[in-house]
Amino acid sequence: MRSTRRLGTLALLGGVLAAVALSGCDSLTPSSSKPGDGITLRVQGMPPATEKATLEQFNKLVADFEKANPGIKIQGSTNVWEPLTFSAKLAGGSIEDVISVPLTEPQGLIQRKQVAPITAELKSWDHYKEFNPQVLQPISDTAGDVYGVPEAPFALGLVYNRALFTQAGLDPDKPPTTWTEVQAYAKQIAAKTGKTGFLQESKDNQGGWQLTMLSYAHGGSMLRQQDGKYVADFNSAATKTALNLLKTMRWTDNSMGANQLNNQADAVKAFAAGQVGMFMGTPGTYRLAKVTYGMTNTGDYGITSMPQAGGNATLSGGKIYMVPASVSAEKRAAAVKWLTYAYAQPQYDPQVAAANAKALAADPKAAVGVPTLPLFDKAHQDQINEAIKPYINVELDHFKAYLTGTPTLTLRSEPPFQAQTVYAALDAVVQAVLTNRNADVDALLAKAESDVNAKLLADQK
Amino acid sequence: MAAGVRPTSATREAARKGRWRTDLIAGVFLLPALVVFGLFSWWPIVRGLLISFQQTNLVEPARWVGLDNFRTLFADPLLGTAIGNTLLFVGLAALIGFPLPLLLAAIMSTVRKGGGAYRFLVYLPVIIPPVVSVLLWKWFYDPGSGLFNAVLGLVGLGPYPWLQSPNSAMLSLVLESTWAGMGGAVLIYLAAMVAIPSELYEAAESDGASIGRRIWHVMLPQLRPVIGLLLLMQLISTVQVFTEPYVFTGGGPQDSTVTVLLLIFRYAFQNGDYGQAAALSFLLAVALAGLSAGYLRATRSWSRT
Repeated sequence: MRSTRRLGTLALLGGVLAAVALSGCDSLTPSSSKPGDGITLRVQGMPPATEKATLEQFNKLVADFEKANPGIKIQGSTNVWEPLTFSAKLAGGSIEDVISVPLTEPQGLIQRKQVAPITAELKSWDHYKEFNPQVLQPISDTAGDVYGVPEAPFALGLVYNRALFTQAGLDPDKPPTTWTEVQAYAKQIAAKTGKTGFLQESKDNQGGWQLTMLSYAHGGSMLRQQDGKYVADFNSAATKTALNLLKTMRWTDNSMGANQLNNQADAVKAFAAGQVGMFMGTPGTYRLAKVTYGMTNTGDYGITSMPQAGGNATLSGGKIYMVPASVSAEKRAAAVKWLTYAYAQPQYDPQVAAANAKALAADPKAAVGVPTLPLFDKAHQDQINEAIKPYINVELDHFKAYLTGTPTLTLRSEPPFQAQTVYAALDAVVQAVLTNRNADVDALLAKAESDVNAKLLADQK
Repeated sequence: MAAGVRPTSATREAARKGRWRTDLIAGVFLLPALVVFGLFSWWPIVRGLLISFQQTNLVEPARWVGLDNFRTLFADPLLGTAIGNTLLFVGLAALIGFPLPLLLAAIMSTVRKGGGAYRFLVYLPVIIPPVVSVLLWKWFYDPGSGLFNAVLGLVGLGPYPWLQSPNSAMLSLVLESTWAGMGGAVLIYLAAMVAIPSELYEAAESDGASIGRRIWHVMLPQLRPVIGLLLLMQLISTVQVFTEPYVFTGGGPQDSTVTVLLLIFRYAFQNGDYGQAAALSFLLAVALAGLSAGYLRATRSWSRT
C-alpha cells in the first residue's frame, strides 16, 4: 500500500513537471511589448559566431542603433531563410520581426500576403526618394508598394574560373560577351582541361530560374498578361533557342560535364573546387565560394555581365530584408527604422560604408568590397566605392567586366506571378535536355506550357 | 478470493475502490504522455485535416474553401506521376529491399565465428544520418568520377548514367535506401531465427529434409509473423519516401523521382499552398490507414490457419 501511494505521488509529480514544462513553452513565443517599456525587435541577419569580424560589426551596429533609437532593443538571430521553418514559425507566431530572404522568394511572399508593405514607413526616411527604382521593382507589388530593403542588390552575370581560362588557352581578361562565345569557350575548356566547361543548374526550381535568365538574354519572357490574367509565355523562339543551345553544348560539344541535377549550392561548391569553367551567378557567389566553400585561390574567381543573344537583359538577384505580415504596426515602424539604419544608410553614407569596410577587413577570411548594384544613384555608389577602397580585399579587377557590362543591360525581375510554379515546370524541361540526348525541345515546352497554364488558371479564379 | 465464497458487499466495495484507485494512478501516469501526444501528434493531425479544407497564409484567419483544395489537387498533372513514382519505389523496394535482409540474416545465422562483426557491419549504415549516406552515394553514382562506374569500368561495364537518367534514377534511389535501411530488418530476422526451436530442424533433418526444404517448411513458417510485420512496416515507410528523392535528385530527371511526399513538400514550402499540401497529406494518410487495416485483417486470418 505504501509503495502504491509513493508511486501515486511520483506520478503526480511527473504530471506536475510535465505541466510546468509545457507551460514553459510560453517562453518560446515572442515577448510582447507593452506600451511604455520599449520594443524588442527580433531580427534575422546576425552572422554566425564563426564569422567573427562580421559578427563584431553587427554587434556594434546594434549598439549604435539602440543608442540612436532609445526604446528599441535589437535581438539578433542567426536564422536564415528556410521555407520549412519560416512556415512553421509563421503559423506558431514565433517568426522574427525582420526576416532575410533570397531574391527568388519576395514575389511569392507578397502574393500570399505573408509579408507587410512598408512604403509608408520607408517614406519617413530622408532619402527614400533617392532609391534606385530598378532595385526596388523586384520587391514591390503591382500597385507599387515596397516590401523590403535589399542588403546587396545584384544582377545575374556569368561567373568564370580564370585559371581554367588560362589553361584552356583563353584570355581571362576577355570573358565571353555572347552565348555563341560561351559555347565556344566551354567547348575549349572541356577539351583542354577535362573539367566542366559550363554548368547549368537544373533542380530545386533553379533549373527554371536559370532558364529564365538565359531566356531573357535571348529576348524571351516567361509570363504575359492575357485578358487580365497571367499565362505562360515561355513556349517561344527565344526559349527554344536557349534550350537548343544547352542541348548542343551538352550532347554535341560535350562541354557540360556528366553530372547534371545540380542546384546553385552544388554549382558554387564545384566552382570553388576548381571543377567548373563557367556558370550563371551573382557577384554574391564570390563570398559564398570563399567563406562557405573555402575557395582559397580567390584570384581565380572572375565574373562578367550576362552574355547576350539579342535580349540585352538580365535578371536581378540578391538578399532582401522583409517584415512578416504578422508583425504589429508599432514593431513594423521600428523594424523599418532598423532596416534603413542597418542596410540602407551604409549604402548611402560613404563614412558609414568606410567604417563598416574597415571593421570587416580585420578578418582575412571575410570578403570586403564585393561590388553590388547601386542601391541609390551611380554618383552615390562612386562615392561609396571611393570611401571603402583602402579596405577592399577582393580582386576588384576580376569584377571589372561585370561592372562595365551590367549597366548596359535592362534589369528584369522574376515572373510576376507564381514564379515557383513556372520554375518547377521548367526544371523538368531543363533536366530532359541535359539528361536525354533525344529530348524534343518543342514538345517539352508545349507540355510545360499547358501544365503551367492549368495551374495559373486555377490560381487566378 | 477463494472459490465458492460469495463476496460480501464490503469486499466488493473495497475491490471497486481498489480498481478505481488503480485506474486513477494509471491515468495520472498516462497523463504526461497523453498531453505530449495530444499536443504534438494528435492536434497537428486534426489541424492538418482542417487546413485541407481551408485556404491560409498562416497570418490572416483561414478561409473555408470546401473541396477546392482537393479539386486543384486532382487537376495537377503531376499528381498521377507522383503516385506512379511512389508505387514504383514501393514495388522496387519490396522486390529488392525486402528479400535481401531475410537472405542475409539466413546466411549470417549459419556463421559460427565472428557473428558480432557481421551484425555490426550490417547495422552500421543505419547509424549514419540519412542525408550523409545519400550524399555519400551521390558520389558513388557520379557518372564521371563515381565509385560504381569506376569499379564496373574495370570489368568492362558501363559507364551507366545512374541518377542522370529517368530510366535508372528510381532504381538508384532504391539501392541506396536498401543499403541504408537493411540493418534493422536483418537484426530482427536474426533474433527471430535464433528463437526457432532447434528440435524442429533436427526432426526435419532426421526425416531426411534437404536444406531447401528445411528453410521452406520450418524456418519460413516460423518467421511468418515477423516477415508480415516487417513487410507492413516497410510498405508504410517506403510509401512515405522523401529524403532520397529530395537530396539525390530533387524529383528529377524529368519528374521521374517526384514522390507523393516530395509533392506535398513542394506544395507547402515552394508554392506556399498549405491547403493543397494538407489535402494530399490527408489522402496519403487514408491510403496508409487502409493498408494497415488490410494488413491486420490478413494477419488475423493467418493466425487462424
